[in-house]
Amino acid sequence: MIAYKFLRPDGRSLFTGFRWRLPDDEPGEWVSAPVTPCRSGIHACRTSDMPFWLARALYEIELDGEVVEQRTKLVASRARLLRRVEAWDDERRDAYTRMCADRAHELALGASPALEDWDAVVEPSVPEGPALLGFVAARIAEEISGPQAYHAERAGQTRWLVERLGLET
Amino acid sequence: MAESADHITCQEVVELVTEYFEEVLPADELEVFEQHLNFCEGCDWYVDQMRTTVTAIGRIREEDVPEQTRERLVAAFREWKRS
Repeated sequence: MIAYKFLRPDGRSLFTGFRWRLPDDEPGEWVSAPVTPCRSGIHACRTSDMPFWLARALYEIELDGEVVEQRTKLVASRARLLRRVEAWDDERRDAYTRMCADRAHELALGASPALEDWDAVVEPSVPEGPALLGFVAARIAEEISGPQAYHAERAGQTRWLVERLGLET
Repeated sequence: MAESADHITCQEVVELVTEYFEEVLPADELEVFEQHLNFCEGCDWYVDQMRTTVTAIGRIREEDVPEQTRERLVAAFREWKRS
């Protein structure tokens, strides 16, 4: 099964700090871990999970063995990195952040009455990067129209990533 | 958990940090906890500092604490329990 994994720029996992063997011309080495969701196992994303876990480096990852599906992640017992998604570079990260910021403004100022307090947090959040701006836009949507709007906004962010990064769904 | 199961606030991160370190958060709460850390630099820093503190305190043995300090701590705890 092919999925995606965000890592730190030096190839370490976001939370465990595990240092992955990165692919060059060939896939990286297989890594194994027993599956206990959120405790143990190799965590990866479906495309729909990506807005929740954005980080600096994105890799395509092959999952094998036991694979457990969770609300916003996959957990596998065996995996290897196949290739870095080069399209997720500084330029695209900035473009995604800007897209989310513009969308957040549109939502906040288009509400009736306008959510000026929410609108005020958008630009100061831009330097924090794409993960925060995606959350801010989704939270404003939720504030206006409820939890379904939060998920709809996240789905829109997924579509942007899939189209701009040329990902398989 | 607060108003939504889809996300938590910075305040909730502070409230849940002990359970996070003890690995007793239910899977769905752990998922939104880590999502929050991924976008909130302030909370990520806070959790990192707490982890450093817990690790450092875990290395201190009873005999490492000077007698005077130990007596002051015991007195403070007794006072706290009485209040």
